[in-house]
Amino acid sequence: MANEHDKMLPIANVGRIMKQILPPTAKISKQAKETMQECASEFISFVTGEASERCRKENRKTVNGDDICWALASLGFDDCSNAVVKYLNKFREFEQERAAMNQINEDEDEAAAGPSNSSKSKYHSK
Amino acid sequence: MRQAGTYSRILSGGGVSGRTGPHLLPLARIKKIMKKSSVDVKMISGEAPLVFSKACELFIEELTKRSWDMTIQGKRKTLHKEDVASAVATTDVFDFLIELVHRNAADHVDDVSEDHAP
Repeated sequence: MANEHDKMLPIANVGRIMKQILPPTAKISKQAKETMQECASEFISFVTGEASERCRKENRKTVNGDDICWALASLGFDDCSNAVVKYLNKFREFEQERAAMNQINEDEDEAAAGPSNSSKSKYHSK
Repeated sequence: MRQAGTYSRILSGGGVSGRTGPHLLPLARIKKIMKKSSVDVKMISGEAPLVFSKACELFIEELTKRSWDMTIQGKRKTLHKEDVASAVATTDVFDFLIELVHRNAADHVDDVSEDHAP
């Protein structure tokens, strides 16, 4: 295998996730972390492949969050799929709220700028 | 788990960049891996790497837990790559990893660099 570290998740991040689920006294060998790193990358490829196949069949070009959720369930990662659907919905709610806040801020800015000068007619007739 | 943290992580997260930010996994790297997975993958929505950052975290946790069960069965305190291979062999949903872990098992020596949480 050619050196493909940039095609894998960083080992430090992988190690951190492993540690957080294990008891504090547990030890992890370096090669176990490397194996996990490769497994995680394979997981991404595997699920993405399934998701993109669905997009291809439906003539869609963009793989989106829902496709990933669907692929996870389709491949048997049910718990993962359920948790991830909730995560995605929270993210979308947040995005909507943020968009709404931006809209409110824009409206307030406009209001603060004051009403546009109604043209006082200086029409003098002589 | 860390549901409460998830939302605040998203809030302070920011966009898809090379930085990890408060996500546990770098979104740009995830996107690279996705693109590499197949020539069919052309466009990826902004949400997809974010979804994977959570999915990968859960995947790693699940595989780690099952690997640790093997470590305990072997009455050891260090998780070795053979434990990962055993967990893969005994879990149907991880069948896609069988070839990968067997390929790795071909290099024998698993050096124990002791590594525990600070």
